[in-house]
Amino acid sequence: MSDEEDLELQALQRQLDDAFQTTRPRAGFEDHLWAELQVRRPWWQRVRAGIAGLVGGIRRIPAAPAGAVAALLVVAIFIGVLAQGGFHLRGGGAATSAGSPFQDEKGAQHVPAVGSGSFGRLPAPAAPGSASSTYPSQSSLALNAPLYTGPATLVWAGHLSIPVSTAPVYRFYEPTAVDADKFAMALGASPALQSSGAQELGRYSGDGFTLEVLSSTPNSREPLYVVNVTDRSRLPAPGPTPASTADSFLAAHRLSPGWPDNVTVDQSGNLMYVNYLRQFAVPGYTFAYLVDPSGTGYGLRVQLESGQPVMVTGPLPLSIESADYRIISVDQAARSAVASSTNGGGFATPPPTVRLTSAKLVYALVWAGDHSFYEPAFLFSGTFTHNGVTYVKRVLVPAVDPSQLSS
Amino acid sequence: MLADRPPFEDLYREFLGRIYAYVRAQVATSADAEDITAQVFMNAYQAYGRFEVRNTTPAAWLFRIARNATLDHFRAHGRRERLRRTIEHQPMSEEDPAGMAEERIQYKALLQHVAKLPERQREAISLRHSGLSFEEVGVLMTCSEDAAKMLYHRALKALRESVKEQMA
Repeated sequence: MSDEEDLELQALQRQLDDAFQTTRPRAGFEDHLWAELQVRRPWWQRVRAGIAGLVGGIRRIPAAPAGAVAALLVVAIFIGVLAQGGFHLRGGGAATSAGSPFQDEKGAQHVPAVGSGSFGRLPAPAAPGSASSTYPSQSSLALNAPLYTGPATLVWAGHLSIPVSTAPVYRFYEPTAVDADKFAMALGASPALQSSGAQELGRYSGDGFTLEVLSSTPNSREPLYVVNVTDRSRLPAPGPTPASTADSFLAAHRLSPGWPDNVTVDQSGNLMYVNYLRQFAVPGYTFAYLVDPSGTGYGLRVQLESGQPVMVTGPLPLSIESADYRIISVDQAARSAVASSTNGGGFATPPPTVRLTSAKLVYALVWAGDHSFYEPAFLFSGTFTHNGVTYVKRVLVPAVDPSQLSS
Repeated sequence: MLADRPPFEDLYREFLGRIYAYVRAQVATSADAEDITAQVFMNAYQAYGRFEVRNTTPAAWLFRIARNATLDHFRAHGRRERLRRTIEHQPMSEEDPAGMAEERIQYKALLQHVAKLPERQREAISLRHSGLSFEEVGVLMTCSEDAAKMLYHRALKALRESVKEQMA
């Protein structure tokens, strides 16, 4: 084999490595499938897993009866919680002394706690489609047409009026296992003696349900809890609507969202999904949806099967602080949107011309290591048709003034 | 022993993307790839109690399930449709607008060339670039490690010729 051939084959191998490493399923597939696995797990496997965990725990403490082990753990956690400065349902992370915390109640307006730009320069949100979300996709704001992430010639043909020049940026710190324990205790759940996954902060069991608390997935989703119903015989009869059934379940388990939301319902086969799409209050304006990397709204989701709740997935309630930042005008944002061009994923030559006909102020999660931000952004969207198929093009433009963004 | 086995979720999180990519390189649409990937992990979840770490690696075990699920898919749906699409050179994304929504494939054309290779060559390339060793590829394809290497290199050369032909 000549040197030239050898080099060609090496280059091809590198391309294949890249191809296989960058080919990944759509955003949300990973968590959705995991949720399906949990739901479809036969009851005897659930029982066996529970017994295995319990037996494992007893083996580690040979002479102790199982009941005593469980009781000891509950007491130990309670002492740990007290040692951490008391019990706060919503008080997961370190609420700083920077000012009064966000009023984490439905519909409450936040109180700007600190001066403009006090979190320093911020990382910018990712463009739609450029990052993979592992958060379950929650629609209503979901796409009715496929998302196009390739290059396009963009034209702004819409109208949006935002009567404010500042908007709050929210920050929270990554929770610890102690925070997960506090949350579990508030739900009446105690630790399950099972080994944990890599992202798992804790696994618990309560009266008729199990609880799993997961840390952030970088650039993808915030800390998450997953409640799985293990004993449906204890559930009350379904309410008149899926939303009312979900509301009742959340209230009974102290899981009702502590933030403004908009409820939507989706159906897939015999499964119903009640989505509580999270919103953030923008003083002087209105509410802005939280969107995932595809530009789709999300928040808390209740999955119903045969009309009864089987699973709840939602963001772990955490202490959150805010600071006001200057934001750019809609005109500036539109100019940025029109000037943007997304690399990769395109299929049309020349790139399609897309009229961006709608825009809205939204919030996007931006991961920054041991803490994350919810940052305001403008989400522009428009559609175009290619080979008879209508596609959606979305452009996310950071709303925070560029002087306050890290390069 | 149970203690030797990592939690299933660790395997799931680590291998989901790789299994999906392996399957996606062989089937025509992302919807098919999702269905097969889901089936792989359903099967793996149910069989995890019987998985023995000392007999095989988690990667080899999961890819064996994935390979069988992909073969089952072809048996169930036939290869005619896939071959037709291959011959007509239809881009995967346009056949599959729903799946294209958020799927990320930066090297669609290259994977289409992989999909056109003869079955064993395609498998050798897919398994190898999914991170398996030649020994693991050989075990899965019921041949020796050396035979797997030879098969892979033949496949690589065939792939290079296929790419060159299209560029010409």
